[in-house]
Amino acid sequence: MKQITILSGKGGVGKSSITASLAIALSKKRKIVCADCDVDASNLALVFGMGTDDFEMWKSISTNQKARVDLSRCTSCGKCALECYFDAIDWDGAKKIPVFKEFGCEGCTVCEMICPASAIEMYDVSNARIGYGKTKYGFMVVTGQLEMGESGSGKVVSRVKELSLDVSKHADIMLVDAAAGIGCPVIASVAGSDYVIGVCEPTPSGFSDLKRALSVVNHFNIPYGIVINKFDLNLEYTRKIEEFAKKKGIRVLSKLGYDKCFMDALVNLVPVIEFSPAYKEIFDKVVRALEDEGVFRDK
Amino acid sequence: MKIIGVTGGKGGTGKSTVATAVAVELAGRGKKVLLCDMDADCPNDHLLLGIERKQACEVYQRVAKWDLDRCDKCGKCAKVCRTNAIVCVAGSAPMFMARQCNGCGACAIECPVDAISWDKKVVGAIYTGCGFGVDLLSCELEINEPVSEIVVAKACEIIADDKKKYDYIIVDTAAGTHCDVIAALGVCDVALCVTEPTPLGAHDLELICKLLSRMDIDFEVVVNRYEKGRDEIVDKVISKYSKPVFAKVPYSKKIMMDYSNGVPVKHKSIEKIAAWIEGST
Repeated sequence: MKQITILSGKGGVGKSSITASLAIALSKKRKIVCADCDVDASNLALVFGMGTDDFEMWKSISTNQKARVDLSRCTSCGKCALECYFDAIDWDGAKKIPVFKEFGCEGCTVCEMICPASAIEMYDVSNARIGYGKTKYGFMVVTGQLEMGESGSGKVVSRVKELSLDVSKHADIMLVDAAAGIGCPVIASVAGSDYVIGVCEPTPSGFSDLKRALSVVNHFNIPYGIVINKFDLNLEYTRKIEEFAKKKGIRVLSKLGYDKCFMDALVNLVPVIEFSPAYKEIFDKVVRALEDEGVFRDK
Repeated sequence: MKIIGVTGGKGGTGKSTVATAVAVELAGRGKKVLLCDMDADCPNDHLLLGIERKQACEVYQRVAKWDLDRCDKCGKCAKVCRTNAIVCVAGSAPMFMARQCNGCGACAIECPVDAISWDKKVVGAIYTGCGFGVDLLSCELEINEPVSEIVVAKACEIIADDKKKYDYIIVDTAAGTHCDVIAALGVCDVALCVTEPTPLGAHDLELICKLLSRMDIDFEVVVNRYEKGRDEIVDKVISKYSKPVFAKVPYSKKIMMDYSNGVPVKHKSIEKIAAWIEGST
């Protein structure tokens, strides 16, 4: 199975809209599965028009542990609060007890290790839910959602990808929709990819964020191409991005004009390729460009 | 009220557009304003305002370091490391991947021969600059470092020290509801949630509203790219919090072109937000 990851650095440039339409275009000739790896704010299923009832399975998972204290054993030595590097334990000076904060525990176990009274133990936290369902376009979407305030998004991303492999064992392609940014969840999305598509818009921030995201991809030595969305909003910046691509030998897979029907399609819960017939040819072209890049060829 | 968070859940809804526009508007009213760009992954406020930034400081995180003369190659350090930063093969010195180390210190505590001490790595930097009468503080994560939150936490320390110099501090957060966003909102007295009238915007708005309620931070909702007839999408979410939409920035190609050319948005909705910030101090 080939893993193609779509990222952008900057949010809201059209990543999920493009992922959904590309998925439909790809699914005509190939077996695919979509993995929504934006586990902070997972939206891909929504773009396909799927509601909660359309999922075949949802389950809680635990990729993290947290520490808790048994105050009846605590000897008020204060070591746990002192040693916690993540500032997740406050010290209540009046009561002389540690207060384990709601957010911040990384599950590193340091407090458990150093507590002389063995008053601290680690417990599994249900920090995310993952699930899958079939789109009306015939393929599966696998998605994950981090529970409010929980950490460990990178590990949840890995679990979403594992589940995608599980539910679509015979798929040719896994299409991964990454989160905004360049941190932990994005690094986990890019890891193991065969090809990356960077989506950007022609604005100073869109270009700057794309370059930052592509630096992450470079680190993994993964080939990539770019899609310029809303290219006609600022032709000067589009030219800058194209020059950058040319200099680096990066293929511009597609240039999409600014079109309000992207937003109308979202509101109508239909991917743009189904909403407006003109986009069939546009996304078929992207598929041909990917074929040209050798993305589907076996190494 | 003093520190105002600008957040929203979904990416690209216009957080930075609103944060920069409100900061410029307040500065235009003669206020001392600090704009703090806490989207360490992809900082953009300086680009939106055309501000040339200067590095103020680097941000470090501690990482483990081995004294191999002392190390007896027992492999216990690797066993307690939860981030898989240490690999030990029996009989040889530990292999250490500093990028994966979160500095927790479990290995140093576990080591029976005290062979582990501390080194540091650069995880990001803080920049400063000014433009349009606004002071800017900007976080930037080092490429391939995973933990944006450390850089945000450093910026929070800086603004805690500088607070007295300003009438208002505008904190522009990253997208999502993750640790870096939580750390940024942690210093805010009140928040603005910027969203767009699409099912995606509404879905992520609900997540951020839940987070703010849990953090006990009062908020108002700003709809960007507003169009008549699409009120219901957002209203459905925030009716649970018994609030109406506070301000609406219209869907306009002109605003988008201005944005793409680095011109701060001027609109009555921005003036309304500025007046609210001034009024509720």
